[in-house]
Amino acid sequence: MKAGSDAEERLVRGQGDFLADLDLDALEACFVRSPYPHARVQSISLPGGRGLTGAQLARLAGPLRVDGPGLKAVPWWPLAVEKVRFVGEAVAVVWAEDRYLAEDLADETEVDYEPIPAGPLHEEAPDGVLYESRREGGDFEAAFGRAARVLERTFKTARQTPIPLEARGVVARWDGAAGRLTVWTSTQVPNLVRTVLASSLQLAEGDVRVIVPVVGGGFGLKAHVFPEELAVAALARHLGRTVRWVEDRRENLLASAHAHEETVRLRLALDDQGRFLAVDAEVSCDVGAYSVFPFSASLEPVTTGQTLFGPYALEAFRLHASGLASSKCPAGAYRGVGMNAAAFATERMVDIAARELGLDPLELRRRNAIREFPTVTAAGRELDSGDYLGLLGRLDAPYRELRRQQAEARREGRLFGIGVGFFNEHSGTGASEYQTRGITTIPGVDSARVRVGEDGTIEIATGGADAGQGHAETYRLLAARELGVAAEKVVVFEGDTDACPPGSGTFVSRGAVGGLTALTEALREVAEKDLAPGLEVTRVVDPKQVFPSGAHLAAVEVDPLGLNPRVIRYLAVEDCGVVVNERAAEAQVRGGVAMGMGGVLLEEIRYSEDGQPLASTLLDYLVPLAPDVPEIEIEHQESPSPLTALGSKGVGEAGTIGAFAAVANAVADAVQAELNELPCSPDRIFHLRRS
Amino acid sequence: MEQSLRVKVNGQAVKREVPPRLTLADFLRDRLRLTGTHLGCEHGVCGACTVLLDGDAVRACLLLAVQADGREVTTVEGMGEPGRLTPLQRAFLEHGAFQCGFCTPGFLATGEALLRSGRRLSRAELPDLLAGNLCRCTGYGPIVDAILEAAGSR
Repeated sequence: MKAGSDAEERLVRGQGDFLADLDLDALEACFVRSPYPHARVQSISLPGGRGLTGAQLARLAGPLRVDGPGLKAVPWWPLAVEKVRFVGEAVAVVWAEDRYLAEDLADETEVDYEPIPAGPLHEEAPDGVLYESRREGGDFEAAFGRAARVLERTFKTARQTPIPLEARGVVARWDGAAGRLTVWTSTQVPNLVRTVLASSLQLAEGDVRVIVPVVGGGFGLKAHVFPEELAVAALARHLGRTVRWVEDRRENLLASAHAHEETVRLRLALDDQGRFLAVDAEVSCDVGAYSVFPFSASLEPVTTGQTLFGPYALEAFRLHASGLASSKCPAGAYRGVGMNAAAFATERMVDIAARELGLDPLELRRRNAIREFPTVTAAGRELDSGDYLGLLGRLDAPYRELRRQQAEARREGRLFGIGVGFFNEHSGTGASEYQTRGITTIPGVDSARVRVGEDGTIEIATGGADAGQGHAETYRLLAARELGVAAEKVVVFEGDTDACPPGSGTFVSRGAVGGLTALTEALREVAEKDLAPGLEVTRVVDPKQVFPSGAHLAAVEVDPLGLNPRVIRYLAVEDCGVVVNERAAEAQVRGGVAMGMGGVLLEEIRYSEDGQPLASTLLDYLVPLAPDVPEIEIEHQESPSPLTALGSKGVGEAGTIGAFAAVANAVADAVQAELNELPCSPDRIFHLRRS
Repeated sequence: MEQSLRVKVNGQAVKREVPPRLTLADFLRDRLRLTGTHLGCEHGVCGACTVLLDGDAVRACLLLAVQADGREVTTVEGMGEPGRLTPLQRAFLEHGAFQCGFCTPGFLATGEALLRSGRRLSRAELPDLLAGNLCRCTGYGPIVDAILEAAGSR
């Protein structure tokens, strides 16, 4: 999609061209989805000639599958073949001239299921373990051996789902004469979709074009390749017609991707000065019925494991991480991924330690923060840059002010709490790092091409894919700065595999790491050659992880009757390295914090004991509304990364990660209870206070 | 069996035969190709499909097209003119009141109804009045700022 300088104005005029707005003369596809969590599909009776079963579609398209160390490579077919493994899994697809008629056909489809009461979901994983790994760093036994004190707690985060306001959607068109497939899809990863479509449908990559329309929010959900994308493309080729599927919210809640259902057991060894010596961590994630593509069942166990106690100096670290299958929607990426659970568990543990030791929570953090950069941590992370004491120092004055307010509030009998969330996170994971993890399904490189038009227009094309972050605006600012041209002379192309250089798409804040590095280098080379018309420079970068960090401060008041927690003040101090576009960076932080507040206070998809999902509408799955979010104060501290062209580190996930820790600690402080499970809902607070 | 529908949409009289089960949102989007009205949940919670029906903010996904018979509908396409945005649209641009832009037409309709109601809008109350529209990108602050500014400029 081309983003001209009128792109934003088009959005306020309702001319955004989101996927469902494209006028492509398509048949409407509708999926028939399983009401059973685990069942054998005995037979399917489709309305005359207007549908395909899973077995029939399996002859047209191959499955998604991720292999790698510690992983069980289980196939995920475009439609279930033989058996279903979660409520909402598609077993058949039907089509008609319009959506109403297609839904009628889906209702008329008869499927015989034989429920499977027990037994493994996948023959390949009889024990239900889809991913497992262990790692140890430093002298673990020695560190625990000389501990003055060992604290042990278990933390749980809730199953959630990103809810981009625009759900998923795909349109596929088959050009039989040219043997070419064109797919429009609302995705963060166009090149990956192309690669997978080509291999699943046995086409050459060059014969597949993926176009990304304006995307109505992604938040990680759209960083996957989904079975529906394969099914719709296979159907278009099969029928020789353009086929469209636009997901509805019920499908989105039941069967897109969930996230965040984790149990983190921590043992923390401390010396008699309150110094953290070592951490022993057991991370176990409910990853649902399949290993998502491309991140696999290792996604959350690995990212949580990497991030635990991230900003603290430890002598030793031990981790056992696993991803366990269940009859639930597969778990994938949701803004912050496993880093949210890590920050929540770590920072709750630090507050618990402060309480046990009779120390001020902010002081305990200061005592244990990493002070030297660059450094390699006991958990094996190579921290490129940072100033962690600087971050905590900026909280000092507002923290003391809030403690004064709290003392007053408590005298009045009010439930007023203060929470700190201190964290670092990785961003911009590169190809070689994914390969070290054994993941070969993610390209991991980022790319940019700059072309000087005959009329002096600067054309920028990248391998990223915007989902509302404002890439085009940032690129224009950067081009104007590096080339001295007017921002209006810059045209940006993203999300078209025919028009853009191949890259990894947009997730894990890679845009500000590999993406901006590739673009800056290309711009600088163009500048050196004096913007000669016709000049074209392409840069491909294999980035290395860098580490943004932050310290957040939240104040929460819980009303004593309804026990509803309300965030009344929020300060986010961010260090995303050099801030390239302040407006865009602050928008990311503000939106990210709001999302994290939802993650702590509201969002939860529960399943009944017999495997039925209990949140199938936005009345059951609650996300923050305008009155739930206070003004969010933002401060920037800039520790430039030496590993990126501009010193930037990315800021897409930071707000959410920080809020998972700060808001949870504030609620726990308000109700004076060990609130170690999310969400911090009124009923949970009620039961905790009673016990 | 189809029913006759006469409705004024963005100032233009429209006459169509429609199935009774067709929602107003699908009528606008599919039959009139006014795709600025977005569908975020189709069960009346997210507010993305909010339009003005005789000046009131309503959810186009919960109304049938035939319920708009004889009435007047304004969608985002009917706000502003070519080359000229409404004060509210301008304020949304200036304040960064959207990121992905999917919820924006619904917020503009809700905001427009509030502005036209003539009620005094305060920073303390406005968030409650916006609780029928979801935004997943902005954290709402810039949307509140934009509507307040547009209210002040009237």
